Amino acid sequence: MPRLRAEDVVGEEWAEWYRLSPAERFAESMKLWDTYLALGGSLDPEPDTQSPFFDPDEWRENLADGRPGVRVLRRG
Amino acid sequence: MGGQACVFYGAAEFSRDLDLMVLVHAKNMALLRSALDALGAEPIAVPPFAEEYLLRGHALHFRCRREDVAGLRIDLMSNLRGVGNFEDVWARRTSIETDGVVVEMLALEDLVRAKKTQRDKDWPMIRRLVEESYFRGAGGAEFWLRELRSPELLIEAARTHNELARSIAADRPAVAAALRGEREEVAAALTAEESEERRLDRLWWQPLRDELERLRHARRA
Repeated sequence: MPRLRAEDVVGEEWAEWYRLSPAERFAESMKLWDTYLALGGSLDPEPDTQSPFFDPDEWRENLADGRPGVRVLRRG
Repeated sequence: MGGQACVFYGAAEFSRDLDLMVLVHAKNMALLRSALDALGAEPIAVPPFAEEYLLRGHALHFRCRREDVAGLRIDLMSNLRGVGNFEDVWARRTSIETDGVVVEMLALEDLVRAKKTQRDKDWPMIRRLVEESYFRGAGGAEFWLRELRSPELLIEAARTHNELARSIAADRPAVAAALRGEREEVAAALTAEESEERRLDRLWWQPLRDELERLRHARRA
């Protein structure tokens, strides 16, 4: 049986990601970080409600860095 | 041991926190406290910064206030379900150098074990991590047969490493199904495996969640 190719199992995009070396993946990840931070993204993570140590009160207390969060103004 | 390690090993996660596994030892804890102070890291929520909580399996949570890392969350753990003690994990670690700094990471097999949690987001991550290892030809046949979560790859691995697969099949029904070449059976066995791991993770966390709830209650009182 011929060896399966990554493209056939996970698609081109993931196959390309897998082909990168760890260092290249790190570099790509850092580019994303640079863009995210340049756009004003906050380092404060989103709440992980499935985490066993998630505490909704803690998240209310720590609305981080003074930046406005996202809120729905109108729902269609 | 979190998102950054996942990126290194081939999955992709845009993780905004920093998860560290630490050795609970008086000297190390003093160094850790000093490093956290340098980042302006303040404890958030419960439990408090104390060795006993780390040893029992809790995570300690901090948020940095220093301007260049403001808001960054750091989670510390020392005892991960299914991963073994710190000394063994340390012996298996991967070391990388980035910008002249050596960074120590969980070995791939430990990262995969640590990701077997009750959270939805961890399971696709495990699949990606093991797939990358398989396509790269690294990690070894036993690791793939025990950890692959992609039915077609598990079937291929079972055919290629038939003898080893037969010896593992008794422990892992998904491998038994892979030996029969039954894709749907493999998929069903993998789903059952995931459900069982999620159940075990909830069981592991239950006493810790109860303790967290008591600590929260005491803090609010």
